[in-house]
Amino acid sequence: MKKIIISAIIFLFSTITFANIKVVTTTTVIYDLVKEIGKEKVKVDYLCRGDQDPHFLEILPSYMLKLRNADVVFKIGLGLELWLQQLIDGSRNDKLKLIDLSTDIEKKEVPTGKIDASQGDIHPYGNPHYWLDPENAKKMAKQITEVLSDLSPDNSAYFQKNFTDFITKLDSKINEWKTKLNPVKGKPILTFHKSWVYFADRFGLKIAGQVEPKPGIPPTPSHNAELISEIKRSNIKLILMENYYSDNAPNQLSKATGVKVVKVANAVYGQSGISSYIQMIDSIVNSLSNNL
Amino acid sequence: MKQILVLLTACFLAVNIYSQSNVNPDISLIGTFNTFTNNVKETPEYGKLNFETPSMELYVDGYLNPYSRATANIAFEEGEFHLEEMYAQILRGLPLDMQIKAGKYLVGFGKINTIHPHAWQFIQRPLFHQVFFGDEGFNDIGATFSFILPTETFYSNLDLGILKGDGLRSTHSHEHESETESDHINLNSPIFISRLSAFFDLDDYTNLEIGLNSSYGAHSKMNFNTLGDSSAEPTVKTLNYLYGGIDFKLKYKPNSYTALTIQGEGLMNSRDVFRQGDIGVNIPIEKSEKINTFGAFILVDYFFSKQFSIGAKYDFTFGIVGDEREFNTSSNDDKNKTHGISGWLGYYPIEETLALRLGVQNLSFKCDDRTQRDSETTVTLQMLFSLGPHKAHPF
Repeated sequence: MKKIIISAIIFLFSTITFANIKVVTTTTVIYDLVKEIGKEKVKVDYLCRGDQDPHFLEILPSYMLKLRNADVVFKIGLGLELWLQQLIDGSRNDKLKLIDLSTDIEKKEVPTGKIDASQGDIHPYGNPHYWLDPENAKKMAKQITEVLSDLSPDNSAYFQKNFTDFITKLDSKINEWKTKLNPVKGKPILTFHKSWVYFADRFGLKIAGQVEPKPGIPPTPSHNAELISEIKRSNIKLILMENYYSDNAPNQLSKATGVKVVKVANAVYGQSGISSYIQMIDSIVNSLSNNL
Repeated sequence: MKQILVLLTACFLAVNIYSQSNVNPDISLIGTFNTFTNNVKETPEYGKLNFETPSMELYVDGYLNPYSRATANIAFEEGEFHLEEMYAQILRGLPLDMQIKAGKYLVGFGKINTIHPHAWQFIQRPLFHQVFFGDEGFNDIGATFSFILPTETFYSNLDLGILKGDGLRSTHSHEHESETESDHINLNSPIFISRLSAFFDLDDYTNLEIGLNSSYGAHSKMNFNTLGDSSAEPTVKTLNYLYGGIDFKLKYKPNSYTALTIQGEGLMNSRDVFRQGDIGVNIPIEKSEKINTFGAFILVDYFFSKQFSIGAKYDFTFGIVGDEREFNTSSNDDKNKTHGISGWLGYYPIEETLALRLGVQNLSFKCDDRTQRDSETTVTLQMLFSLGPHKAHPF
């Protein structure tokens, strides 16, 4: 009997000591960063698949089930995941910590003055696509490290080491990406959605306009006509777009002007062969350097 | 009416006063405008383009505190304001992770009933809703207790509710041929509802939800002259009903631009009704009788190009849709039937902010007494707009 009690206590303590932190992330980019930092000490899952538009996620009960068992949920913030609160409410998990990874990010395109729906889907706190700048990924990884360390202080050193390793790896890649994109620096491109400002600023690309007439507003023939003039006038060679958007309008522009349409994943698992943040940026950089 | 106007005014004033605050509730407004024509010769609308009075739903919704939310939905329909819904929900902090919803609301019997008509893919309410719930759906006052069941691999939920019952009772006529004021006795008896639902991710792109529903209670209490003797003391009887329901929704959404939905619901009705029998001593004998009827619909909706949807729905119900219902008394909905076939084309130019729908519905009737009733076809053009931060509709 005594042995059983001792065994039970040992088992209980071992469970507590080695229990994984249960993490849910809104996007696959955060998912990958959490895996890099937490490795086997975390159990991580994501809500929005890499091939889905994170602006719009259907309110599925299975997402509530994921959040129900989680200790912490990480989000991009800045109004990207307007669907998240409904899922959290549905999960009924009153111990769930919600972490907004945008807190340390230097926000771009923060609107000034009154905003309304006539301006399209404007994000009132700034453009939320900051993860496409690898320097911001470092800030996200830092915050993830701090949160995981708070949740599991015993593993703090482990998380810190993983963070340092990741930053080393990422810094080396950033140099490589800069070198690759150096020849196309300053060249104008079009993007489909207004989501590439952080990436373009980091690597020196010039965004001359968007296929969407306003953020979130579907392309129109009159806007396409304006873009055709702009492509010719500014000698634009490339349209960069996320692979979950329809390429009908960009293809029309391509037919009219010869501009190349380059579809890329802006999330991990957004297309086959992209299973990490570094692979994702690699793929974007290669697409640009090969086509510009 | 006056109270609702005061409430409406208070809402706007509150927004104005606290406009700098970040604790404002979300306020949104849904507008609906219908034009239609039909082929029903005896109606004034026959063959003409008819414009309905626009209707409106004003939502006020927000957190009361970290644990609970409140929602009000004030509707303007057919030229009148009424309170469609007003309820509070305790979302977290309760034992067993229970959630409680209390107030006046659309009851969770099936999937469609809790969804407001502006969010349906189709235009006309399912036929069995009209017969068994009424034109406004199953809307009642009460409380529902909701539990997530401990199924690890899929989401399942159990809702148990107790309701005042007026939602069902008020949708039906309380008169019959021989009924006098004294025949009908005020009924103060709650009704009960339950819903068990399960949700499955079949793969990354396909989801299935199935639900089982029930509702039980007394729908009426009446004096019965069981002897058929006009001088005899009447006998008081309570008439009960039992609804059983099943629903499913299967959705295949391979990308942001296309979605195929197949959805269906059915309701089995077993209820006591008033019947007049043979002449007793000097008047007909009055008795209660159990009738068993049902209704169902199934629809297919295909969303394509992000902005267009096309769909079709088949409806069947016992009872004649559009007729005055005599739910509690001399109902004959166990004998008559209505079939409906409808189709629609929806255009959503920019997300859900604006929608245009063209719908056609054909109803055909089968009357037990061999009364010939022509089929009815209605063509409706509907415009909807959504102003403000309206909460996303769940799956």
